[in-house]
Amino acid sequence: MSSLKNTLIEVAYSILPITLVVVIIQIALRMSYEDFARFAGGAVLVCIGLILFFLGTKIGIVPIGKMIGEYLPQTGKLSIVILFGLLLGFSVTVAEPDVQVLAMQFSQASQGAVPKLILISAVGIGVAVYIALALLKLIKGWSIKYLIIASYVLVLLLALFTPDSYIPVALDSGGVTTGPMTVPFILALGVGVASTFGGKRDSFGFVGLASVGPILAVLLLGVLFG
Amino acid sequence: MIILSLFSGFTTTLKEVALALGPLFIIVCFFQFFIFHLPGPKFSDVVKGFILTFFGIALFLQGVYAGFIPAGQKMGIMLSELSYNWILIPIGFVIGFVAILAEPAVHVMIDEVDKVTSGSIPGPVLLYCMAIGVAFAVALAMARVLYGIPLAYILIPGYIVAFLMMRYCSEQFISIAFDSGGVATGPMTVSFIMAMTIGVATAIEGRDPVLQGFGMVSLVALAPILTILTLGVIYSKLSKIYDEENSKT
Repeated sequence: MSSLKNTLIEVAYSILPITLVVVIIQIALRMSYEDFARFAGGAVLVCIGLILFFLGTKIGIVPIGKMIGEYLPQTGKLSIVILFGLLLGFSVTVAEPDVQVLAMQFSQASQGAVPKLILISAVGIGVAVYIALALLKLIKGWSIKYLIIASYVLVLLLALFTPDSYIPVALDSGGVTTGPMTVPFILALGVGVASTFGGKRDSFGFVGLASVGPILAVLLLGVLFG
Repeated sequence: MIILSLFSGFTTTLKEVALALGPLFIIVCFFQFFIFHLPGPKFSDVVKGFILTFFGIALFLQGVYAGFIPAGQKMGIMLSELSYNWILIPIGFVIGFVAILAEPAVHVMIDEVDKVTSGSIPGPVLLYCMAIGVAFAVALAMARVLYGIPLAYILIPGYIVAFLMMRYCSEQFISIAFDSGGVATGPMTVSFIMAMTIGVATAIEGRDPVLQGFGMVSLVALAPILTILTLGVIYSKLSKIYDEENSKT
C-alpha cells in the first residue's frame, strides 16, 4: 500500500503545481467556464491515468522488463542480446504515452501529412537502433564522448537534407522517448550486459544515447518521404 | 455535457493504446511461455500490471486529447492576441520553473549526481540550477514562437557550448548530463506546454504551427544538459584545487 501512497504523491506533485499556475492564468484571462471545466476535467483524467499507469508499470511491466533485461545477457550470445534489445527497445518506446501525445499533436498540426503510426514507428526504430549501439558501446568500451559528438554531427548533416517541417518535431521526439516505460528496462539491460560481457559497470549514458536515435530516425523519415 | 464531451473519441483512444502496448505484451508472453514459465500468481501480477497500464495510458491520453490540448491551444491563442503578448515569456519562465521542481524524475537524477560527487554538490543547489535552466528554456521557446527565431540559432550554439564543456568534465558527468536531457520533459511539458506553443504559432501571423509550434521540447532537453555540464566543469576545477592543496601539505 505504501507504493500506492507514493504513486499518489508523485502524480500530485507532477500535475498540481502547474495546474494551479494555469488556473491562475485562466482566471486572469477570464476564460469561459466551459474552457475551465474542460481543462479541469482533463487534469482529473490525466491524474487518474498517471496513477494507474505508474502502478501498472510498477507491478507488472518493470519487474518483467528487468527479468528479461537480466536474462538476455546470460545466454552469452551477443546476437541474441542485440536482437531482443532491438525488439524490446521498439516495443517499450511505442508504448510510451509521451510519444503518443507528440505524434498526435504533430499529425494534427501538419494536417495529417505524417500519419501518427508512421511517426511513432520511426521513433521506436530510432530508439531500438541506439539501444543496440549503446549495448555495443558498453561491451566494446567505446567512449561516450565520441558517440555523442558523432551522433549530433549526423543530426546536423541530416537536418541539411530534410524538409524544414520535419526538423522541430524530430528534435522534440528525442526528449519524449525516455519515460517510465523505457528507462527501467534500458537500465536493467545495461547492468545485465555489463556484468556478463564485462566492460565498465555503468549503464550511465544509455538513456542519453537512446534519445538521439529518434531524432535521427525522424530526420531520415523527412529525407525519405518529405 | 462537459463530462460527456471529455470522453468523445474514447474508443479510438482505447484502440490506439491496445496497438501501442501490443508488441510489448507479445514479447512478454513469448518469454513467459518459452523461457521463464513463471508460476501462475506471479504471471497474473504481470497481466494485472498490463491491464492497469492499459487503462492508465488510455485515461491519460483521453485527458490530454480532450482537456489539455484544446485548453492549452486556446490559452496560447488568447495570450498571443493580447497587446502585451510578450507576457508569454515570463509565463513560460514560471511554468518551466514550477514544472521542474515538481518532476519526480528530476529527484532521481539528483540522487545519482549526489552519488557520483559523494555529496559535494548539494541537492537543493542542483534542483534550483535545473529549475532555472528549464525556466529559461521554456521562456526562450515562447520568445522563439513570438518572434520567429529559428530553432537552429539557439540549439547549435547550445550544443557547441555543451561539446566544449565536455572537454573539461569527467565521463561520468557527461553521461549523467546527457541522460538528464529527457528527465525534464514530463507529462505536462509534451501535452500542455506544447499545446500552448502550437496555439501561439497558429494565432500569430507568419508563424507555422509545424515549424514554430514544435521545438520547445528540444530546448527543454538542452537546459539540464548545460546545467549539469557546467556543474561538472566547476566540480572538476574544485577537485583539482583541492588535490593541489592536499599535495602541498
